[in-house]
Amino acid sequence: MNGESVVFWITAIFAVVGALGMVLSRKAVHSALWVAFAMVNLAVLYFTLQAPFLATTQIVVYTGAVMMLFLFVLMIVGVDSSDSLLETLKGQRLLATLFGLAFGALLLSGVASTIALRDNGLDVANGDYGGNIQGIAHLVFNRYLLAFEVTSALLITAVIGAMVLAHRERWAPRKTQAELSRERTFTSQVTPLPNPGVLARHNAVDTPALLPDGTPSQASLPKQFRETSHEDEAAKEVTS
Amino acid sequence: MNPNNYLILAGILFTIGAFGVVVRRNAIIVFMSVEMMLNAANLAFATAARTTGTLDGQVAAFFVMVVAAAEVVVGLAIIVTIFRTRRSASIDEANLLKY
Amino acid sequence: MKPSFEYAALAPIVIMLTAGVLSVVIEAFVPRTYRRGLQLPLVFVSIAGSFVYLVSSATAILNGDAAMTGGQYQGLRQIAAGGSVAIDGPGMFTQGTLLLVAFVGALLFAERSVDPQGDAFASRASTLPGSEDERQFTAQGWSQTEIWPLFLFAVSGMLLFPVSNDLLTMFIALEVLSLPLYLLAGMARRRRLLSQEASLKYFVLGAFSSAFFLFGSALIYSVAGSMTFGTVATALTDTLQDPILLTGVGLIAVGLLFKVGAVPFHQWTPDVYQGSPTPLVAFMGAGTKIAAFGALFRTFYVAFGGLRWEWRPMMWVIAILTMVVGSILAVTQTDIKRMLAYSSVAHTGFILIALVATTPSGISSSLFYLLAYGFTTLGVFALVSLVRDSTGEATHLSQWAGLGKKSPVVASIFALFLFALAGIPLTSGFTGKFAVFTAGVEGGANALVIVAVVSSAIAAFFYARVVVLMFFTPETENTADVVIPSYFTIAAIGISTAVTLLLGIVPQPVLDAVVKAGVFVR
Repeated sequence: MNGESVVFWITAIFAVVGALGMVLSRKAVHSALWVAFAMVNLAVLYFTLQAPFLATTQIVVYTGAVMMLFLFVLMIVGVDSSDSLLETLKGQRLLATLFGLAFGALLLSGVASTIALRDNGLDVANGDYGGNIQGIAHLVFNRYLLAFEVTSALLITAVIGAMVLAHRERWAPRKTQAELSRERTFTSQVTPLPNPGVLARHNAVDTPALLPDGTPSQASLPKQFRETSHEDEAAKEVTS
Repeated sequence: MNPNNYLILAGILFTIGAFGVVVRRNAIIVFMSVEMMLNAANLAFATAARTTGTLDGQVAAFFVMVVAAAEVVVGLAIIVTIFRTRRSASIDEANLLKY
Repeated sequence: MKPSFEYAALAPIVIMLTAGVLSVVIEAFVPRTYRRGLQLPLVFVSIAGSFVYLVSSATAILNGDAAMTGGQYQGLRQIAAGGSVAIDGPGMFTQGTLLLVAFVGALLFAERSVDPQGDAFASRASTLPGSEDERQFTAQGWSQTEIWPLFLFAVSGMLLFPVSNDLLTMFIALEVLSLPLYLLAGMARRRRLLSQEASLKYFVLGAFSSAFFLFGSALIYSVAGSMTFGTVATALTDTLQDPILLTGVGLIAVGLLFKVGAVPFHQWTPDVYQGSPTPLVAFMGAGTKIAAFGALFRTFYVAFGGLRWEWRPMMWVIAILTMVVGSILAVTQTDIKRMLAYSSVAHTGFILIALVATTPSGISSSLFYLLAYGFTTLGVFALVSLVRDSTGEATHLSQWAGLGKKSPVVASIFALFLFALAGIPLTSGFTGKFAVFTAGVEGGANALVIVAVVSSAIAAFFYARVVVLMFFTPETENTADVVIPSYFTIAAIGISTAVTLLLGIVPQPVLDAVVKAGVFVR
């Protein structure tokens, strides 16, 4: 057993564990961490496959950028998110498991029963232009030049997409502090609204504050807890 | 070492990823499973590059990473939009009906 | 060494990509109120310019006038960009069809007077549906002009997809055409929750299928040592029975069949067709199918041509399933867009017959069919966008009852398109089906043609049902109204109607052209 086999068997097992962890974790965050773990192990495998450039890119792009983006989104959506955004179907899990097993058996039998691939090694190809990166660069900027150029369209699309779906614009100019204070001064309620629970028996958010004459003030409550059916009435109460 | 082992590993990872896509219902985890499938394809490409002695496979894997990065941006943007809508949908129900 | 980049051969793609980048520049630097005024000319001029260039260079080649393109062509067959692109007859014809479809699609995108609020896309896609922000943006008449760069990039991807000559370029073209469509699918002005759900489903399943395509490419490459179709084809003749090869072919087939919407990879079609903005459905339904079939034919004829005895049985089964399932499920639908989605699935099955034929007439008949089908789809969805009630488009079939009395013109043109989809004589659909079935018989797929005729009969039933509903059912208070569109949609419907009728009545010039287009370059 040579060094490559040792590295392969350790990282291969880790990678499979990482992939299984991703599928079996209940929480999305755990899944993301398992994926990152599997990806780092794949990066090690790229080194043994004589692909140092890919190994580095794998760590920088996949674990560094892609998975961190996933984690960012998980923080936006909520770390505990386990809500389903897709529809549920009856018996889908069972069918899916069967499908997965059948597909895996088919794919692996196809891959495994093949005649042993010749191991040509990349020493010649890497040597042609003085190294792995030079060789890749030669291909990218000659043979795959069109693909490389077209990739830019992809990146622009991604940027536009993120802007269109996530960038919120204002439909009116933002009010300055001077305008805000002026507006406020011309209403009857110059001081802040009474806090919920002030001068009342409880200090819970849904308990209205009592005014000096003893009547409860709906204006002290958050909108959701006000008794009045129309939101506008509470606002009127403030302004009148 | 027989390079077929790498291909078999890629096949296993691909299958696990495909399994995750059909079994999990959280869109983000489904999407991560797709990423796992792309990674498996990359491993297969890198293996094939070594067995055939050409660098095309490594270039392909490199392009796949670029594509995956763009795809992740678009996919996560869609998921975030849906999440914002659905969460607020319950609060804004009255508004929706008025429309 | 200088990379080879044949601008003359790649010009249609380069023009569209450049237009896309210019469109982004407009978005970045031009004040909001002037953007639409600049985007529309850019889009129409670039598509028209690309098309005129394509046609002129194709005719120049066909007439033997090689001097015009710098003498680089050897007939209609050229491998360009270092082997990434194959410019040949079928490829150029597909590109031409796509540009025409894109032009009409752009007309539908530009329509603004069908919906009182503006175009079919959300005023701001980032606002929450039903929120105060959305109301304000809509009231102030904002519109999302970013749809135009996305549209142009989608067109560029579509142009590259059917002429890609290696698996890697094909994968990237696939993504370039898909990503903008995923985004546009989620941007409907009305019923945005449905639209966003459609977008998510389209995206997840699309990414899923492209992973299959990719893994298949890796397996093929591990055997052939190259991803270029010509080299793959040569390498495959030596290693015919290798199981890894068949696995690879199968996985690539999954990826491509998903894009054309073949059973059992069709599940995204009804949801995406129903939820997405209708102009997008028209453009995507026509364009994606044309581009993906172009790529499917090239992959299976050029790269896997030597394996045809291995993949033909698989395609037989898929073609039969697609035709039968598509036709039967369409009968049970109550939503017009869903029904048309299943009808598109059935049509995929018909075109697969041409694939199974594996003859030159298979290629030419599919080219004709795709041209005819593309315009019928555009026309049918353009009309769907006109039938509305107060909440937006009226897509439930019950709302179409008695439409023939309310608006005889719209109902008649819609009936014409339905006849074309059903394949009634004197419409383009008949000529297309006839060509494809003939090719199928020539290629020895008699059983497939019989199944196709039977499922055409089933399909004719549900098309006829809509016609009966429109003309012979009394109007109810539920019946939707037909709005009068601006010249954009009128032009789109006019072009589609003209093409549908011309290809049905005088199809010979186009039939000659698709035969002249010849076979794929290897």
